[in-house]
Amino acid sequence: MKIRIAPYFIIIYVLAFIIFVILISYFWQKNRKTPEQPINFSHQIHVSKVGLPCTHCHTTVEKSTAAGIPSVETCMTCHKAVKKESPEIQKLTKYWENKQPVPWQRVYRLPARKYVYFSHKRHIKANLECVNCHGNVEIMSIIKRVPKLEMGWCMSCHKAKNVSIDCATCHK
Amino acid sequence: MDRRNFLKILGITSSTAMLSSCGVDKANEKIIPYVIPPDEEVYPGKPLYVSTTCTECPANCGLQVKVNEKLYHEQRSLYPTKLEGIPNHPINRGGLCARGQAGLFRLYHPERIKRPMVRDEQGNWLIITWSEVVTRIQDELQKTRRLGKINTYLSNHTNGTISQLKNQFCQEYGFERLPDFELFSHANIKKANQLVFNKQVIPQYRIAKTDFLLSLGADILETFVSPVEHTYHFSIAKKNQHFRWYHLEPHVSLTGVQADHRIVIYPESEIIFLSYLIQTLFRESHQKRNLPFKLLRSIPTYSLEETAQQTGIYQQDLQKLVGELSKAENPLIISGGISTAHAYGLEVAVLTALLQWILGITSEVVNFINARNYENIGTFLDINNLLHRLDQNEIGVFFLSKCDPAGQLPVDWQFLEKLKKASFSIGLADCLNATVRACNMILPLSHTLESWGDAQPFDGLHSIFQPAIEPQYDSKTEGDILLSLLNNNSEFSLYYKDYLFNNLKSRFGETNTSKLLQNGFIRTAVPESELSINLNQVYQFLKNFRIPQVKRTELLVFAPSIRGYDGRSTDLVLLNEIPDPLTTISYGAWLSVSEETATRMSLKDGDEVEVRIADERTKLPVKKQKLLPENVNLVQYGVVRLLSGSYDKRSGELFWFIKDIILSKTGNHVKLPVLSGSMDENGRGILPHVNEHGHEKEGKPWYPEHEHENYRWGMAIDLESCIGCNACSAACYVENNIPIVGRKEHLLGREMSWIRIQPYVQDNESIEFVPMMCQHCDNAPCEPVCPVYAAYHNPEGLNVQVYNRCVGTRYCANNCPYKARRFNWFDHRLPEPLDKMYNPDISIRDRGIMEKCTFCIQRIRAAKDKAKDDNRLVQEGEVIPACAQTCPTKAITFGNLEDKNSKAYKLAHSEQAYRALEELGTKPAVNYLGKKREHYEA
Repeated sequence: MKIRIAPYFIIIYVLAFIIFVILISYFWQKNRKTPEQPINFSHQIHVSKVGLPCTHCHTTVEKSTAAGIPSVETCMTCHKAVKKESPEIQKLTKYWENKQPVPWQRVYRLPARKYVYFSHKRHIKANLECVNCHGNVEIMSIIKRVPKLEMGWCMSCHKAKNVSIDCATCHK
Repeated sequence: MDRRNFLKILGITSSTAMLSSCGVDKANEKIIPYVIPPDEEVYPGKPLYVSTTCTECPANCGLQVKVNEKLYHEQRSLYPTKLEGIPNHPINRGGLCARGQAGLFRLYHPERIKRPMVRDEQGNWLIITWSEVVTRIQDELQKTRRLGKINTYLSNHTNGTISQLKNQFCQEYGFERLPDFELFSHANIKKANQLVFNKQVIPQYRIAKTDFLLSLGADILETFVSPVEHTYHFSIAKKNQHFRWYHLEPHVSLTGVQADHRIVIYPESEIIFLSYLIQTLFRESHQKRNLPFKLLRSIPTYSLEETAQQTGIYQQDLQKLVGELSKAENPLIISGGISTAHAYGLEVAVLTALLQWILGITSEVVNFINARNYENIGTFLDINNLLHRLDQNEIGVFFLSKCDPAGQLPVDWQFLEKLKKASFSIGLADCLNATVRACNMILPLSHTLESWGDAQPFDGLHSIFQPAIEPQYDSKTEGDILLSLLNNNSEFSLYYKDYLFNNLKSRFGETNTSKLLQNGFIRTAVPESELSINLNQVYQFLKNFRIPQVKRTELLVFAPSIRGYDGRSTDLVLLNEIPDPLTTISYGAWLSVSEETATRMSLKDGDEVEVRIADERTKLPVKKQKLLPENVNLVQYGVVRLLSGSYDKRSGELFWFIKDIILSKTGNHVKLPVLSGSMDENGRGILPHVNEHGHEKEGKPWYPEHEHENYRWGMAIDLESCIGCNACSAACYVENNIPIVGRKEHLLGREMSWIRIQPYVQDNESIEFVPMMCQHCDNAPCEPVCPVYAAYHNPEGLNVQVYNRCVGTRYCANNCPYKARRFNWFDHRLPEPLDKMYNPDISIRDRGIMEKCTFCIQRIRAAKDKAKDDNRLVQEGEVIPACAQTCPTKAITFGNLEDKNSKAYKLAHSEQAYRALEELGTKPAVNYLGKKREHYEA
């Protein structure tokens, strides 16, 4: 027995599918840009209000490929005394007491990071400011990824500054 | 449209959507900080180096461990990711063999023992705590005391401070410390030196200082005593153009094919050859020292014809050998391995010592002062004694530390059954093996890279073990266990580290101890002593000289292999992935047979035969082996268990061959993973005669020349020095995260090694090796055929493969004349916890991607990064690829071909240099330095 199905049925199916994919990727992208963090850490307070320089916490940014993320101990040097009553700091204290690392969610990740090797040190030594890639962190109460970190974006800068555009500079 | 079509389309679109979303990375990635940062010097992106000592064989090479700060399973910690030799270490001088390179596979072995265990009455394993271990052992000791049994302690090659502690422990607890267990104890050499020179030691053979090397059976470049050191020495000796090397062996070995003259000798007839040599040297008055007539007369006299007939050596070879030996200024004679591992082995060793004596022995070539540390090592007499006592139910508590007699002793000695007669056996090991599995208690030992310790590779050299990683499991070092037992300390609060440091400081002082920690080794002075011969003892021995009846029977030879040593390394997966150099077989066991045997029994490669030795039988696939003499059949220790074994009742040396075996064809066929397509270069000039290549032959370039600004990276490989040991290949695997694919893929020809060592048989009389990897051609055939520009030429002359561009068409591999490109057919990840060793500086390739040698681009990038910090160019010697770094002979030179002062440039433009298949016009960046063939013919 044959059941006739009108072709527009397929069109509707395909359209519904596309909308579904778009919606999914929208929420996903949003989530990737500003993932939910285990502690509501505010860069705004630490940078604008307290006046800490970036290197206070991201200690290896000038000497290593990775900028470095502060250890729980670093947080606790101040927060043993500062703002102990805040519920967010209490979360931090709990991690410290359990001797567990804070499972921060990564905000800046290269799309094909498996095959890309980025060096913070090289870019700092080339006199780039943190702001150039990370945006105005000092006004972000919740950290958010600013550029998409796609290769075209890297290349535009590399070409404009007339620095190496050899694949092997980053891919290995 | 009907329902069927509708469902089809629905299915296809949905599954495509599913599939396309599969490759996307997981969105939520964590970034884990430290709770407390370790050292200020430890941060991601910067490796640390720890100096320690290799323990894969008794040679104890110096080791530099590269440790990376890594995130593994959401834990930020330090992990060793690469092992390298300490550059100025007196033993290995920066080099490391394939077994040393594979040490990480033991550290992260999936079968590491994770916690202490004891067997209950039913024979089930119970997990216990360390404090229970102490009380349990004390209980058992009391029980055996009541029974009046003897407690024994057996371990593998042990020296340094731990040996002292063991003695102390054994003394206080009434243990008998048995001589150390090593399968290759070189008992005959030790005994012969005792007889001749009153020194029961194995001397250091300093090959670099000799101008004439005569080796009998000793596989000096593979496993004999200290192979990496010998290999380095050999490469230095080769630089002397008067250096000659004669190697006599009854089979074929990797060492043998490296000699200038490889001479096949009938098994057991070495003694006739040596007698002839001594008598001829005296007759022609070439001796440098005299022997009493009485003694000389006890050595049998053979004529040239008789010797030739009984040893199978051609007369002209014998004459030439005598001629060159008598002219040599500083000759060195080494016998060992297969030549001393038979019924007349002791005589061979004694005559060798005597020959060395009359040719003027000097400590420059045979160094008895800095003797190898073999004094604690027992022989098969000791093993037999132990087995006998086990059989008589005499043994109470039995400690077996770091040794695997159950897995290594001949099957028919039935060690496992006898071990059960000990009242309580305690196995101490880092990985599970046949011995500890049969014990009553298993104590996990920390790997050497997790523990403190020291060793004394030879007299006057002390080296240290330093931890490069925290113990991964609930394991302890042997020192910690012994200290806790000694002091009845069930909390394990006494640390061997403190004991060690007290000991080191009292022995060497503060400054030398810190030097030891920093450099990994220190040297101390050893009192010199004059070597003298004990003529009377030699005479007494030679008086009862037995002249062998050389009967030629079908032989089964067990030889140690460069991959497995005595079998202890055969379960390291890397050493199975890397092929055996001579046969290029990777996985599994096989029997090498001579061409004559194969013809006689009409055997093809892979045909199965049954080997019958008295009552024991085993089935093995055969591989035809060129240069293997007739009637000699070869298997490797470890790959095949020793079926039946006998030993010399005088010295306790294990015999390496079994006579009167019977081979019969079973009719089955087993596919062998032979990685080399052909052992013949088919006249393609990959290994040209020195006069046969010339730059005029170079093919015309098809494309405009590349311009290189500051760098053009290139390599020179000296084939004269290359011994085909595969150390480079092993180093490459670890450095570059090369997938290990296994036997099944190898059978399909899908091996992944970036460097392959290609053996080529030359004129049926020699085997020569060519390391083949990506040649980084200037006119690379792979580049123009890539539809997505994944293979491209970079401004530094590298032929780069961009992994995330690659779509896997494999056109490049098809177009590569060197067969250097490897395709990832599947995702082959190392299983946990082996994946801890992945190098974080280079990507792990996914399936569907082509890969190949990159000249260790991560090292080039690191050097350039450093140079840029100092605002300069990369200097000579700053970039050393993993292969060049580990090469024991330093055959590989890497450098910048744009820099006319670089060593690589000079070698590339030397007279000897040629490029493989240069007539194709590919302009490779890898230059081979050809063998100086004429000195063979001289």
